[in-house]
Parts: sequence; structure tokens; C-alpha cells
Amino acid sequence: MPDMRFAPPNPLRIADRAAGLNATSVRSYNERLLLSLLLQNNGITRLEIGESTGLSAQTVSVLVRSLEQEGLVVKGKAQKGRVGPPTTPVSLNPEGAYSVGISIGNKRSHIVLIDFVGTIRFHATLPNPEPNSKSNHPEFLETIQRALEALPKGTQDRLAGIGLALPESRSGLVAGRSESKHKYAALQDEIEKEIGHAVFVQNDITAAAAGESMFGSAKPHADHLYFYLGHELHSRLVLNHQIYNGNSPLSFDIGLSALERRVIAGRLPAEPIWDRPLSWPDYGEALLRWEDELIDSMRGSIAALAQFVEIKTVILSSYIPEDICRDLCAKLGALLPNVMVVAGKSSPSPKAVGAASLPFSSRFMVE
Amino acid sequence: MRTVLCFGDSNTHGQIPGGTPLDRYGWTQRWPGVLARALGPKWYVIEEGLSGRTTVRDDPIEGVHKNGRRYLRPCLQSHAPLDLVIIMLGTNDLKARFQQPPSEVAMGIGCLIHDIKELAPGPGGHVSEVMIVAPPPMLDDIKEWEPIFSGAPEKSRRLALEFEIMADSLEVHFFDAGSVITCDPLDGFHINAEAHEALGVALAHEVETIGWSDHER
Repeated sequence: MPDMRFAPPNPLRIADRAAGLNATSVRSYNERLLLSLLLQNNGITRLEIGESTGLSAQTVSVLVRSLEQEGLVVKGKAQKGRVGPPTTPVSLNPEGAYSVGISIGNKRSHIVLIDFVGTIRFHATLPNPEPNSKSNHPEFLETIQRALEALPKGTQDRLAGIGLALPESRSGLVAGRSESKHKYAALQDEIEKEIGHAVFVQNDITAAAAGESMFGSAKPHADHLYFYLGHELHSRLVLNHQIYNGNSPLSFDIGLSALERRVIAGRLPAEPIWDRPLSWPDYGEALLRWEDELIDSMRGSIAALAQFVEIKTVILSSYIPEDICRDLCAKLGALLPNVMVVAGKSSPSPKAVGAASLPFSSRFMVE
Repeated sequence: MRTVLCFGDSNTHGQIPGGTPLDRYGWTQRWPGVLARALGPKWYVIEEGLSGRTTVRDDPIEGVHKNGRRYLRPCLQSHAPLDLVIIMLGTNDLKARFQQPPSEVAMGIGCLIHDIKELAPGPGGHVSEVMIVAPPPMLDDIKEWEPIFSGAPEKSRRLALEFEIMADSLEVHFFDAGSVITCDPLDGFHINAEAHEALGVALAHEVETIGWSDHER
């Protein structure tokens, strides 16, 4: 019988010493487990990694060393422990990987470049691409190219891919499904062909929820109800970090479109609602009445869901000014004493950041 | 208290560069002694360095007792339970008499790892943690040792990668001594007191980074 102990060594990780990211196919489950863990708890020790993954110290040692060589993780400074020897924490390297996210919104598209810890390095807004007419289509592809050029010098090979967040339906509850998904289906192929990187597609609200879980306020909350406030109000249920992407296109027309109608009726300027400034003008009564209506609707959703699952955490994500978002959370939280209501991470485009999180989850994380 | 065995050759024995096997640094100067000092009283450091030791090769000139594999088993059993075994070998396998490429030296390291796993000399019959340390590359000028080590300096620069591949595939800890020390120009392949100090401190850091839970197994 052949003695397999003395077959040529079969290194899982070290074989590829070339700079840049290793091929997707060789990324093992354990590496993904480790990277996912680091995303949740940046700066933990190898001992803690072993304790929470159940991997042996030697396996953790090999994984950390190879991911370090690949530039995906960095060793922190040794920290003197309260007792015992100093410990060296391990963290994700922000410059270890990058990703481009594209979201096609109701009126505009957003394109971002983010680093491995979710910091936006490039952000551009432009009108939606119109594949089948003379349009800004070249400008759209050019902007993606510009996002790639925003990669720091020498890191062009560190792009994990491009994420594309598409709306399920433009009119939601009101008119049923429209054809927007079909309309943009060709976009994936086209970007892959023109730009030359893998494109990962996801429903935009689910993508935004994924981005919030990976980089934002939802990180520590395995179970929560996620609200996305855009033109309309959307929601996703997240249980044990899994986003329930149901087939319901349900959304409520009490989002920013509803606010716009109130603002216009009050003869106030509505553009700031869509221009994503850091603060809004004083919308006075219009804002208060809209907030009440919105909060009522969210309460209704939470109450309806409570028949099936106990919701302890609610996250409200939006590109509205941070103070308005926090205000909404505080008001909703005051009405629901047993629920923690948290504002999503402030971002000019939660959907585009969510889109950019897709290549990371596909290439580096456990499902 | 935890126990670590330092299994190596003349550079673990503490042979002074340019000297003979009889010239040896003192305990506090040799890297196992530095390691003991740096790790503190929670660790018991066992030093096991033999001049001329190979990984798995019987030396037809110096004698079969230079074969690390023959001595590793009784040594492990003598000192068990061992929390950690550090192995720094490989330079002597590059002697002209053995005619071995770096990959075969790494295969020898692999044998020693398998023997440790088989014997499981850790606490409670578990496998000890194993750390492979690639020796620092030899210098090009190895003085009067040139005939004995003919061709070895070039091979020695490739040991670290071969050892790391082996450590990776057998899932054990790895450290490249060449990342912190160099050999002394007096003979081109022994390390001086300064290097012993730097290596001991670096290895103490590596040992601590493994992470040891406070509760004893």
C-alpha cells in the first residue's frame, strides 16, 4: 500500500506566490470562515479565532500566514494583555481588496468604489443608462472605468469584481411588476464584456441589506428587520445573518416620493430630497406629517411580523440626512419599548455600497 | 507550566562562528536561553541542539547518530508532555555528500512532522504544536567549509519556501529565521550571539502569537 504521508507536499495556500489575489477556486471554506469572522470582529487574536471557529492553532497559523502573504489581512501591533503575554491581533487589510458597486435607482445610477472594510473611495451619480436608445450609455461605462481608475496605484489586480444592484420593480404595490429587471439584464453581460471583470447581480434592496450587514450598523445583529427608505419604503427580514429575499415585490408608497408630494403641495423646494445633501431645508409641517405616516407604516410592518418572529432590532437605512434618519429612529424606538431601532451607516448610496459588497461575499465570505 | 522542545543542529547548540564544535555560547546567550528569558516563568525550555544533525539522513562520515529522525522519537518520549516542538534543521542536509535538492530536505522535515504527529507527545496524548523554523540562508563565502558544503549556499536560499510549503501542507506553524537574522561572515553558516538574541526574541513572539488558553488542558 502506498504511504500517502510521503507523497509530494500539497500546500493549500502557499503554492501561488504571485502578487495579487489568488484564484477564486482555491479559496477554502476555512479561509472564508476566517475572513467573515474578521469582518465581524476586526482586530482579534489567533487564540480568539481558534476559539470561535473551532480550528486548531496550527490551522489558524497557516491560514493567517497565507492570507497575510496575499495582503488580505494584516497583523496589528502587539498589545500587552491584562494578564499573560502580549497578544497580536489580526485585522483585515483595508487595501487588501476593492470592489465596484453600481445601483440603478428610480431616477439615477450610483457608482462607488469601496475598499475591503467598506470605505467609499469613489462615488459618482449619473442618469440611468438607457440601453435601447441614444443615451448616456457610453458615459455610464466611462464612469465605471473612472471608478476603476480610482484604485490606488499598483492595486489594479486587487479588484474583487463589480456588483450590480437592480430594482425588482419600479412601481411596487401600485402597478405590479414592470419590466425593469429584464430591461437591465443585458447590462451584466455588457459590463463584463466592456470592463472585463466579473459582475455579480442582486436585487437592490437585498444588496443594501447585505451591505449594512457587512459594513454597517447591522454587523452585530444576526437577526433584524431591515428597512430601506428610498422613493418608497422597502423591507427585508434578516435571520441569522441570512437575508430573506422573498419573491414579494411589496413596498409602500410612503417613502421620499410621498414626502416630495407634501413638499410640493407646500410650495417648498423638493430637489434637496433627491440631491442627497448633508441636510435638508426646513420642511416644517410637511416633514412632521410625513414622518408620522412613515412611522405608522413601519410600526404596522413590525406588528404584523411579530406574529411570526420576535423582532428585537430594526435598522433603518437611507441616504436622507443623518439627523433626519436618527430622528426617525428615535421616534419609532420611543413607540416600541422592546425594540432597538438603529440608523443605518450614513452613506450617500447604501444600495451601491451593498452592490459592492456582493463580490466580497461571493469571493471571500462564507454564505 | 508549558514545555517547549528546541530540536536543532549546531545553531541550536550555540556553536561560535569560526570556531570548532567545542566552542559554544553560554546558556543565556544561545537562542533557547533567550527564548526562555523572553517567554518567562510560565515556560520550560528544553534545548536539544547537536552539531552536524540532519533531518533524516544517516551521515556516512560523522555517524548515524547525526540523523535527527533516529533521535527525535526517544527525545520526544523523554521530555513528554510537550506543548510545542520547534524544529530548526536542514543546513547539514545540504552537505555535498548527501547530494540533495532543497525539496528533499523539506521532505525530511515532513518526516519529522509525521513522526511527531504519530507519537503525539503533547499533553494528554494529544499532538504537540509544531513550529518549523527555516534556518537563515548560508553566505556565499563559507571559507574552508566550501568542499564539504559545495553548492549548498545557493540551495540554502530555497529552503525557506520549500519548508513553508511543507509546513502549509501538513498544517504546522512556520517561521523563516532568515527574516530576522543572517549568518556570521566568519564561517558563513553559523549565527553569532547577536543573531541568537534576535532569533530567541522573535521566536518568543511567534510562540506567544500562537495563543495559549490560560486553563491547562
